[in-house]
Order: sequence, then structure tokens, then C-alpha cells
Amino acid sequence: MNAILDSLSTLYLPGALPLWCALLFSLASIWGYSLVVRGDAASLGFARRSYDFFVLGIVLASVVLALLLLMRDYRIEYVHQYSGNDLPSHYQFAAFWAGQKGSFLIWLLWGALLGLLVKKTAGRAEPVVMGIYTLTLLGILFILVRENPFVMLKETPLDGQGLNPLLQDDWMVIHPPIMFVGYALSAIPFAFALAALWRREYDGWAARAFPWALAGFLVLGTAILMGGYWAYKSLGWGGYWGWDQVENASLIPWILGTVMIHGLYMERAKGRYRRVNYLLASLTYLSVLYGTFLTRSGVLADFSVHSFVDLGISGWLIAGMVSFLLLSAFLLATRWKQIPTAPNEDPFFSRGTFLVLSTISLTVSAVVIAVGTSAPLLTRFMENPGQVGPEFYNKVNMPIALLIALLLAAIPYLTWKGEEPREILRRMLWPGIFGAVLTVAAAVWQVRDVFHLLFVFLASLALATNLQKTVAKYRAGGLRMAGGYLSHVGVGVILLGFLASSAYDQSAKVTLEMGTPRKVEDATLTFTRFIERRGFEKESMEIEVVRDDGERFFVYPKLFMNDRTQQVMANPDIRTTPFQDFYVSPIDYDPGQPRIQLAKGEAGRIGDLDIRFVAFDLEADGNAMAQMAAGQQFTIGAQLAVTRGGQTSTITPLYRLDPVNGTVQTPPMALPGGGEIVVAGINAGTGAVQIEVLGARNPPKLSVDVTRKPLIQLVWFGLYIVLAGGVLATVQRLREMRVRDTLPAG
Amino acid sequence: MNKKNRYYLLGGILLLAFAGFSFSSFKETLTPYVSYEQAREGDRMVQVAGALEKGSTSYKDVEESLYFTLHDPKTRETLRVRYKGLRPANFEEAISIVAIGRFDESAKQFEANKLLVKCPSKYQGAEVKEYG
Repeated sequence: MNAILDSLSTLYLPGALPLWCALLFSLASIWGYSLVVRGDAASLGFARRSYDFFVLGIVLASVVLALLLLMRDYRIEYVHQYSGNDLPSHYQFAAFWAGQKGSFLIWLLWGALLGLLVKKTAGRAEPVVMGIYTLTLLGILFILVRENPFVMLKETPLDGQGLNPLLQDDWMVIHPPIMFVGYALSAIPFAFALAALWRREYDGWAARAFPWALAGFLVLGTAILMGGYWAYKSLGWGGYWGWDQVENASLIPWILGTVMIHGLYMERAKGRYRRVNYLLASLTYLSVLYGTFLTRSGVLADFSVHSFVDLGISGWLIAGMVSFLLLSAFLLATRWKQIPTAPNEDPFFSRGTFLVLSTISLTVSAVVIAVGTSAPLLTRFMENPGQVGPEFYNKVNMPIALLIALLLAAIPYLTWKGEEPREILRRMLWPGIFGAVLTVAAAVWQVRDVFHLLFVFLASLALATNLQKTVAKYRAGGLRMAGGYLSHVGVGVILLGFLASSAYDQSAKVTLEMGTPRKVEDATLTFTRFIERRGFEKESMEIEVVRDDGERFFVYPKLFMNDRTQQVMANPDIRTTPFQDFYVSPIDYDPGQPRIQLAKGEAGRIGDLDIRFVAFDLEADGNAMAQMAAGQQFTIGAQLAVTRGGQTSTITPLYRLDPVNGTVQTPPMALPGGGEIVVAGINAGTGAVQIEVLGARNPPKLSVDVTRKPLIQLVWFGLYIVLAGGVLATVQRLREMRVRDTLPAG
Repeated sequence: MNKKNRYYLLGGILLLAFAGFSFSSFKETLTPYVSYEQAREGDRMVQVAGALEKGSTSYKDVEESLYFTLHDPKTRETLRVRYKGLRPANFEEAISIVAIGRFDESAKQFEANKLLVKCPSKYQGAEVKEYG
């Protein structure tokens, strides 16, 4: 009893109570729905109201956490950990999802709210669908109740620890919450699929789950696009995709979600893939759970750039994953034989066969990415655990991309009943010419690798055939019929952008001295000035770039110290032109060393002075060796040859040390032509001196990574097209659903 | 054997071939964590981890390379590393460094082409940054 009271006193009740109530109401709702399933129709109202109260609890808890963050209430451990007095207000809100607990809460919040829509649209399947769906939310809620975000500290600190400076970026406000909408959406087709299996009602779920699957695809795709922008435009990671485990964790469900969309399309159109779709809906959701496990359990802590620290929830995550896996496996195994299937009688050159082949290819891609991402886990039990780098993913996905481009290119000409290959080739004439022209252009440019040329040909062929079909569909029935083909056009564009920007980028790391032009490939870079911090505008560096063709522009990368953590933060700057991005990412800034260290005979430069260290003068003020031996104060001179403007003079500044009390005197010595020189230190071990010139400095130096990314715009542009096609398809599926729902029941 | 089965067989063979290709790529690109002793055998890409030995860093402008010594707190072994590239920010403050590369037998040093630098951070324990 005392233990419970103790734990109560460490929790902030206005936040923790709604969470507990939500837990009770979700259990009540599941219980109510299960009564309905067993035939007690009267419990439906109870189950629905309980779900509403569950949502209310989650909303309240979220509002309380948001308010605590906005009020900077540092009594709350979570607020203390992720907020701080110096944090601008929009980041204060974004701190909500900066940590593990808050991001689980936002995931749960979206899931709970989406459930209200699921409840309304599930039709007769509602009790089972909602029962299973609420079960998926319950899993997250369990973690939150255990790892409560409302834990209070014993004392109230005056300041929080602040938000990780890497996360203080505009994308932080928008990217993570959208990602979690995508994760939350993935549970909906899963619930529909399992409910259909449970009820042995194998028809109808696909139509209802279809718009949800499309929405999940769209939202997750948008989130991935934003993450790419974030990595590329502000983090300065040099690229939009690094095959990092956290990135892969969102990519795998997206690919599987894409496969699911095509599976559902096949089922709706031809009654095919009925068994497979159950599998796909389960796999998509389970891959979200698996990704969450990989990135949040701490198993990858030594391998990933941005995985979370371990909260001790690995056990929970594994338990959740395994129980949903077992539930899906059990339902599928017991129903497998009963699920009606249509016999596969498609000829090879038919839409059905090509769709099957594309879905297999995409699934294989998802599997190899999952295997690569799991490398640290898979090799854990070997002698030396390891990981695979981007080379692995690029290499294994290359043949898949080629195959998918080929399939995509043919699909617009295929019908369900099959086509003559010769007929397909004949209709591919113009797209083929387009592809050939682009391939020749690529070869003329700099593409020499045969596989890359084939890649260019197939990708541009797919782009052209699908574009042709999109236009034809648009003419025939309006743009809304053309969503799928439009997305495929986007895929062709993206593939071209991928190849150009990743395999043909040129990167050079250079150090620029302020004011001294330096040539990098076809451009001359000059570090012109350092711009001091102004308000929220961080310190930036101005670099003038002059191209060989005469084009002149400035870039302003930022490199600044985070005041709180003393971490050096870098933001790249990008000059975008239609065919190329000129990407300048700062690595290091040296404000100009006022000192140089010289060994005997060595020469160095400070300001406009060339200084050569000739030798030590041990007789500068009495015999230094004798003084040292006697333990008295001794004086050493450093004989320097100083050259300024062609005039060389020899001077001997002094270094005086009193061994008794350790005091050092270094009288400055006037330089011919102005300024003073000082021996700032002597390194007895190496026989080197440190020389400092008062009133002079070396020019500041800026180290940057200069990268040229050809055609990277195609990646973004292609993704926009894919998503636009997805929007059209979603609208179309929703229309179809509405039309059917208004039909009189037959 | 009818036509359909022949397609399935072909598909199966292709999938198997791809699985083999993936497996060999996996083995080839896998960079295992190894001890310094194993790294010195130097026949493949590996990663080594350790702490930065104080005062061991030097930068050679001419070859644009960073030299430093890693030491393993457990075995107390050390390893001299050369990283061809610019000195990462906050390098001296690193609490641990992972170097990915291979051992160069003739130069008796580890040639790193990528560094993961873990810097102290009050936030989530530490901040890892990638270079290379």
C-alpha cells in the first residue's frame, strides 16, 4: 500500500489520472465490444461510449502535457529533460515529441482520434474491428502508464536541460507528428483484416480498408519526404537519405504499405490476392512495431546516428510485437483454407501477372532492407557483431529497381486478359524513343556504367509510358481516374533523380582562408566574411562562389556554438539550379590562431609576418643553464628572423621563469614596422617555442564540404508526383465506397 | 511439366539467385566490431571503437589527414589511426570514437574512412555524429 502511495506522490495527477482513466475505459470498451461479438447487442452503446471516454482521457493527458511544456513547469521530469528557459516558444511545443514518452503519447493521441472515424465507418464489422484496433492502442497505453510522462522530480529546478540543439529546427515542429499519424494509420487496415478473419467474412474488408491504406501511404510518404528535406537542407548530412536504421524503420512500412495498396487494388478489381492481403496488412503493421522496437529499445545504440536511449521498455515492445504476430498467425492459419481464392489463369503478359511480379519485387526490397537494418541484431550472436553501410542497400536494391522500372514501363499497355508482346512493343515506340534519347544524353554527359545506362533507359521509359497513359486516362475520364499511373510517372522521375544525385555527385572537402580564393572543380570559392549572430539568426559565413562560366553568387552556411551544450552546430546552405544543387556544408571554423608553434629552424606566418625560429639564446640575460642549475630565475631568448615586406630583421624576445614560485614573465618586444612579439611558451621536450604577435592574427579559416548534386530536384519533384497520384487515388476510392454504401442492401 | 509450373520454377530460381546475391553482399559489406588485435590482421573493412588518447591528435595540412591514437579502456591496447579528411568539430571532447576502415600493414596504422564521434551531451546521454 505504501509503495502505491509513494508512486502516487511522484506523479502529477492532473496528467496521470486521465491516462489511468483512459486505460480503464479502453479495457471497458474492449470488454463491451467482446460482449457484442458474443451476441449481446445491447452492449454496443456501452462499448462506444467507453471508447469516447478513452479518447477524452488521452486528449486530456496530451493537453496537460502540452500546457506543462508551455508553462515550463520543471517539476515534471519530462519537461525538465526536454525544455529550457532559452527555448523559443514553437520548440517548447515541439519538445512534446522530443523524447520517448511524449512521442508514444502523440502516437496514441492520433491513434485514439482516428479510432473515432474507424468506429463510424466500420459498418457491421465494428465490434471486432474496434476491439482489435483498441487492443493495438492499449499496447501503447501500457507503455505510457509504465513509463509515465507525468513523473515529478523531488525538487523544482530553475531551468530545464533544454532541447537537443540538433532538434531545434523548423522541421522538428512538423515532421515527427506527421510520421506518427502514418504509424497510427497502419493499425487500421490491420484491424480490418484481422476482424474479417475473425468473423470469417472474407468480403468487404478490402473496400473499407483501401482508403485507409492509401491515407497511410500518403501520410508516411509525406513524413519521409520531410525527413529527407530535414536531413538535406538543415542537418548538413550531405544527402536526403543515409540508410540509417531510424530512416529505414519508416521506409519498410512504407514499401509494404505500397504493396498492400496494390494487393487491395487486385482484390477489388479481380478478386485476386485475397489471402495475400491479410498477410500484407499484418506485415505492414508488424513492420511498424518492429521498427519501433529496433529504434527505441536501445539495441542499436552503438550503431545509429539518431536512435533513442533505452527506457527499459524492450520487453514490452517485444511482448507487444510477438502477441500481435501470434494473433495474426493464428487467425491466418485457422482460416487459410476457407478464404476463397480465384484461380490464377492470367497469361504472362497481363496486368495481373505484372502486378504480382511488382509486388513480389517490392516485398523482396522491403525484406532485404529489413535484414540490413537488423544486421547488428542478426550478428549479435556471432563473434563480432557488425552493421552494413549504405553500399549494401544501394547494391541489393539496384537490380530490384531495374526490374520494377521494367515492369512499370509495360504496365500501362497491359490488360487483365493479356496482350501480345509484339503489340506492347509497338505501342512503346514513342516512349522508347524518349528513353533512348535520355540514355544517349546521359552517356554523353558522363554516365559510362552499363547498368546505370540501362537504369536511365528503363526509368525514363517507365516515366514516358505512364505519362502517356495518364494523359489518355485524363482525356477519357478526368484526372481522378489517373492517380495510379500518375504515381508511376513520379517513380520514374525519382529513379532518375536517385541515380544522378547519388552516383554522380562530386564532393570535395576544402579549407578556405578568409580572403584567399580557392578553386574547387569549376568554381572559385572565397570565404569573404563572418557574420555575427543577430537575435535568433545564428552566426553564418559568407562564401563567394564564382563559376568558370562567369556566374557569381553567395552562400551562407551556418556554424555556431550551442550556448548551453557547447556543441558546434552546422547548417548547410544550398544554391539550387534546375540541373544541380551546389551544396556547401561547414565542418570546422578556426577564428585565426594568434599563436604559432615553431620547432628550431621552422618558419610560420602570423598576419603579414614571416617568422623563423633560428635558435634559443641561452645567454640573453646571464647564463640560463647556470641559473637553472642553481634553482634561480632564468631567462631564455628566442632568436627569431622576422620578415615583413621583404625586410628581414633578427630579434630575440625573452622568456623568464622563476622556478621557486612558477611565475613567468614574457616582456613584449617591439617589431620593426609596428606591433609587438611575445614568446608565449616554451616546450622543453620538443625544443619548440610558441610565438604570439600582439595586434595581429592569422586569417580565419573555414573548412567546408562542397558537393555538387546533379538533378537532385528530380527526387523531390518525383515524390510530389507520387503523392499527388496517391491523393487522386484516395479521392477515387472514397467516392467508390460512398457510391456502394448508398446502394440499397441486396 | 506444364507452362505455369515452368514459370514458378523460373521465379523460384531467380528468387534464390537474388537471395544468394543479397547474402554475399551482406557478408561483403558487413563491417564487424573487432578488437585492435583483430583489426591488425587487416584483411577487411572493420570498425574499432575506443577513447581518444589525450594529446595524441595532430593534423597534417599537406595530406589533409588527421592522426590520433585510440585506446581501449578494457584491454588497455592502443591503435594509431589516420583519417583522411577534415578534423571533425568537437573532436578533442569526444568520449568515444568509432573508426570504420582497414589496417594498413605497411604504414602500421588504421586507415579510417569514416568516423563516428560520440560527444558528451546532457541530453540523451551522448550525441553521435558521423564523418566521412
